[in-house]
Amino acid sequence: MLVLSRQRDESIMIGDNIVVTIVDIRGDKVRLGINAPSEIPVHRQEVYEAIQRENLQASALAPEETQGLGKLAARRTAK
Amino acid sequence: MRINTTRFGRIDVDAADLLTFPSGLPGLEHCREWALLADADNDALGWLQSTARGDIAIAVVSPRRFVPQYQVRIPRSELTPLRLHDIRQAQLVVVVGKNRTGLTLNLKAPIVINLEDRTGRQVVASGDLPMQHQLDTNLTALKKSA
Repeated sequence: MLVLSRQRDESIMIGDNIVVTIVDIRGDKVRLGINAPSEIPVHRQEVYEAIQRENLQASALAPEETQGLGKLAARRTAK
Repeated sequence: MRINTTRFGRIDVDAADLLTFPSGLPGLEHCREWALLADADNDALGWLQSTARGDIAIAVVSPRRFVPQYQVRIPRSELTPLRLHDIRQAQLVVVVGKNRTGLTLNLKAPIVINLEDRTGRQVVASGDLPMQHQLDTNLTALKKSA
């Protein structure tokens, strides 16, 4: 992993169109500003990892486990 | 195309009914091509079946059917890769999961499908939405037995 030291208000560039700026540093918290093209999604890593976990669990679901859904849908439709 | 699936047996899918997820799904990045199947017993439910892996399928539902108040805002950066020209060509579904209490819906990361060119992408919606919205499927079962 490339490790760079930066101070507040300094930036790094990733490729030629992504700029990450150190906006603020307070104690053990760093605030980052990210300038990236609109087609590049930026996520907190823990959110992405949580989605990965959810998908992997979901991909193990068996059709018979979803029976409750049908009843729930029918009840909602009947309302 | 013929897929040997663990859940549905051997199925034949029209090439025109396949969906391409150029980025795969988080956690299942290698699964790029999926068939969207209707559930035989439950019209509220669909299955995204991987064409490459017969053992991988994900249950999806239209969220409004179960969470009528669900409103979703999706950042432009998440939708740009789908190249949607017309928002009416977009279909939104959410993944059905399960925890100890019962079935859940991932309202934070819905799947958007571009019906025009049949591509799909799981996006991260803005705001405070649960990844495990609990459905009261157990309550339904209790009521039935009461």
